[in-house]
Amino acid sequence: MSRYITRLRMRRTYKWNGRPIGEDRKLKRQYYESMSISVEGKTEDATVSLGQYILIEGDDDDNPFVAQLRKLYTDGKKKSAVVQWFVRMCEVPQNKRKLLGRDPHPQEIFLYQDRSCDNEVDGETILGAVQVSYVIICFYRNLLGNKVDLLSDGEDGDDDDCFVPSKTDLQSSSDEEEEAKIDSEDELVVKKCRGSRTPRSTEKTRVSARTPRKTPIKKTAPATPRTPRHATPSIPSRSAPARKPGNVLEEARARLHVSSVPESLPCREQEFQDIYNFVESKVIDGTGGCMYISGVPGTGKTATVHEVIRSLQQSAEQDEIPHFRFIEINGMKMTDPHQAYVQILQKLTDQKATPDHAAALLEKRFSTPAPKKETTVLLVDELDLLWTRKQNVMYNLFDWPTRRNARLVVLTIANTMDLPERIMINRVASRLGLTRMSFQPYTFKQLQQIITSRLNRVKAFEEDALQLVSRKVAALSGDARRCLDICRRATEICEHSGSQKNGSGLVGMSHVMEALDEMFSSSYIAAIRCASVQEQLFLRAVIAEFRRLGLEEATFQQVFVQHQALCRVEGLQPVSVSEGLAVCQRLGSCRLLLLEGSRLDLFLRIRLNVSQDDVLYALKAD
Amino acid sequence: VCTGQVWMCVLMLCDCVCVQAQKLLRERLCHQKLPDQPVGLDSQYKHMLELLRRTAVHGESNSVLIVGPRGSGKTMLLGCVLRELMSLREVQKNVLLVELNGLLQTDDKIALKEITRQLHLENVVGDKVFGSFAENLAFLLEALKKGDKSSSRPVLFVLDEFDLFAHHKNQTLLYNLLDVSQSAQTPVAVVGLTCRLDVLELLEKRVKSRFSHRQIHLFSSLSFSQYVDVVRAQLSLPPDFPDPKFSDEWNHSKLCDDKTVEEILRRNFNGSKDFRSLHSLLFLAVSRVSVSHSTLREADLIEACRLISADSKANVLHGLSILELCLIIAMKHLNDTYDGEPFNFQMAFEHLLQLELVRPVDSGVCKVQREYQLMRLMLEHGQVMEALQKYPQCPTDVKQWALSAFG
Repeated sequence: MSRYITRLRMRRTYKWNGRPIGEDRKLKRQYYESMSISVEGKTEDATVSLGQYILIEGDDDDNPFVAQLRKLYTDGKKKSAVVQWFVRMCEVPQNKRKLLGRDPHPQEIFLYQDRSCDNEVDGETILGAVQVSYVIICFYRNLLGNKVDLLSDGEDGDDDDCFVPSKTDLQSSSDEEEEAKIDSEDELVVKKCRGSRTPRSTEKTRVSARTPRKTPIKKTAPATPRTPRHATPSIPSRSAPARKPGNVLEEARARLHVSSVPESLPCREQEFQDIYNFVESKVIDGTGGCMYISGVPGTGKTATVHEVIRSLQQSAEQDEIPHFRFIEINGMKMTDPHQAYVQILQKLTDQKATPDHAAALLEKRFSTPAPKKETTVLLVDELDLLWTRKQNVMYNLFDWPTRRNARLVVLTIANTMDLPERIMINRVASRLGLTRMSFQPYTFKQLQQIITSRLNRVKAFEEDALQLVSRKVAALSGDARRCLDICRRATEICEHSGSQKNGSGLVGMSHVMEALDEMFSSSYIAAIRCASVQEQLFLRAVIAEFRRLGLEEATFQQVFVQHQALCRVEGLQPVSVSEGLAVCQRLGSCRLLLLEGSRLDLFLRIRLNVSQDDVLYALKAD
Repeated sequence: VCTGQVWMCVLMLCDCVCVQAQKLLRERLCHQKLPDQPVGLDSQYKHMLELLRRTAVHGESNSVLIVGPRGSGKTMLLGCVLRELMSLREVQKNVLLVELNGLLQTDDKIALKEITRQLHLENVVGDKVFGSFAENLAFLLEALKKGDKSSSRPVLFVLDEFDLFAHHKNQTLLYNLLDVSQSAQTPVAVVGLTCRLDVLELLEKRVKSRFSHRQIHLFSSLSFSQYVDVVRAQLSLPPDFPDPKFSDEWNHSKLCDDKTVEEILRRNFNGSKDFRSLHSLLFLAVSRVSVSHSTLREADLIEACRLISADSKANVLHGLSILELCLIIAMKHLNDTYDGEPFNFQMAFEHLLQLELVRPVDSGVCKVQREYQLMRLMLEHGQVMEALQKYPQCPTDVKQWALSAFG
């Protein structure tokens, strides 16, 4: 596939042919009709002139960009060109490809009519001319205007390409020449249709004529055994699909699961609008920028950004705004901050690289003025994890959007509001800019609204019960996930108790209370109450020793003396040191006691992990 | 001739019913077989089963922590739940199980390899996992992300010693597993087992927020009479025992009604309520059953109890020479006189040092001469006295000296 790689290694020189055909005094530009490109090690020069189809250097060496040359000019220093872009199928976004309604030939190209893309290129990126065999104009909604078939470059006889085909290429090119003959046969027919709607049928016959010949070639590739390098990540699928919810409570539970995607995001309308406006304006202007979003966990930061992107993508589908790419990385989902580069590069171009190489490639990508670049929207979740000592990952992420040609919008999310001030050095913080937004914890009314909108007419909860949950959660953390989890647990409790109580079958106050109790009550007291006699006695001995010493720490030996005394008071047989130590270690493993220096044996230091009052309360209630 | 006799004996033993009974009980007490039904954990069992069933059948993601002191039956409970779950036809072929242990998978890198291996993802060849840590993580996340609620097989992640996973760097693994459990990806159930009551405080706040806060506590609330019932059940032979006459006799022994046995059980119950300590007691007792006396007698239990509750250091003292014992007594007196202050020696006592009955105080900066090194006595007052009482042929004046108030 490395067809053009040889060309890259050679130095090209560019020269104007003839005299200028026009001049713009104001812009100090001189226009030319053609340009000759001479390549080192090759005697004959290639010439490109207006109206010709040309190849332009791009990211992908195998598939340079294709365009039609419209203007050639110089402003005294630089040679520039104005072009009409064409796209190959592989450059069309995946989700748009199906709009074509058929499988295109790999060499087929399409007219690119997006105004958002820069149609001025550096003249020195032109690689050479290319033969385009014939032109059909037909219209595909939303996507493609004129359709042009491109036949392979150079092989068609015109020596405007310096590429010397290797043996295998010669074989394949002969194949294509045959094709060219077929195509040139109907070239006349098709050309008549220029400017009008092409009947679908001609196209179909042509495609079908080509298909059978293509297929055998593909099949010749031997099926190589799967190696781990090409492994596809997947979880095996189940034999029967999962069961659907059966009753109201199950339905409610499915809707209340944090993972279910709600129809709308209530209570975040303002934040939604702000982020939407920010991203939309950047996409339309073709500029870049950064935004910092903060808020405690479970306040809908990531969900809101995803919602914004979804609706922006919808309007891009309907051609209301230019197309853009969305990429997401998460600081917690990588093993090292520098992996961020690798992941971004992989999601952008599907290339694999080491972190350093990926950083270099991205740097090049965002700083060179590439033609036809779409805006990239990058979401960086859990930003604080990308912190490194030199902060170069963060620096780069915030520096790229400021480049003139980057067209990069970076949305960052983290938990703390003052993260930029706290951990970022000045040059990083200043690049992050001042576009900040903070998500406040949900109030109880909002939480209630969230549950109601999720339930959406499924009547499973009593009104008071909902209010209780939302008030309790709002008072504690304002975390929507917590709220949903409690409600889900309450439906389970209701389901289990449902059989004995007649009730309304709805989740009521008592169920919610029980769920809240399960999740929020401290388990220490229950643990002390259920401990064995000796364990309780030991805790009592610890408190007695603390009181005697007036300190909050004692050694095992000291406590053990107290323990023996207490045993005698209670009329129990005194335990041996080994047994006493075992009791102490058991309490330590539950973290009722904090033990330090377990190899010190008798001089083990003991502290309480619960307040003395709690211990006494738990022991007294017995 | 000699080998022939041994063979005869072995054959006789194999034939004996009581050996069969012993084998059966030992298996039970060594946790080699799951009990038919967990004791006293009915509500927890139901909750767990229901939860995992919903993951397996409905594809609902869940996360739960089972918290309970050591030996309270966390693993046993989960084992029983999984056994029942896997017996459902609908579930059997549809669930993937991944078991991790915080003591084995000490960092996320090892844990990820283990997960990948147990899931048989495509980057596994044989038993080898390919790729770097970063690639493995990306691969696993991608795999989990591709799945969806209704069509992919649910994955049950069991994390034993859950608290140790919280000490991994950034808690990456926990974050990602819990994040999957809270988003529309492959259904997973994350089950953590831990004995730490404060485990939630170990989680970082964003990890904590993704955890469903479902905790199942296993606190034993058994009363003594229930405890005795459990002992009875543990020691009885099953109805399908090959020799019904023997098992009938065995099961009808009035062992648990005996006063001394009750006292021993009470003492054990007071010490700890968990079944693991009970099992080790009963195991020692059952091991004493032999051909010559084929029933379990209270003497067996008394002996087992003596072995279990014996003080480890008092045992060591019994092996000392009189001279060394004198040294210990001298130290005991020093301890009494100076109220536990460290003391020094000018004698050779390497043996005691080796036995760790005395231990040098961690000296600070200055290096002291060996003879003047400060030492601490690692024995309790009572331990010395007990050892002396039982010491064979201990000179009376040594005993006298030990008992006297001042050295």
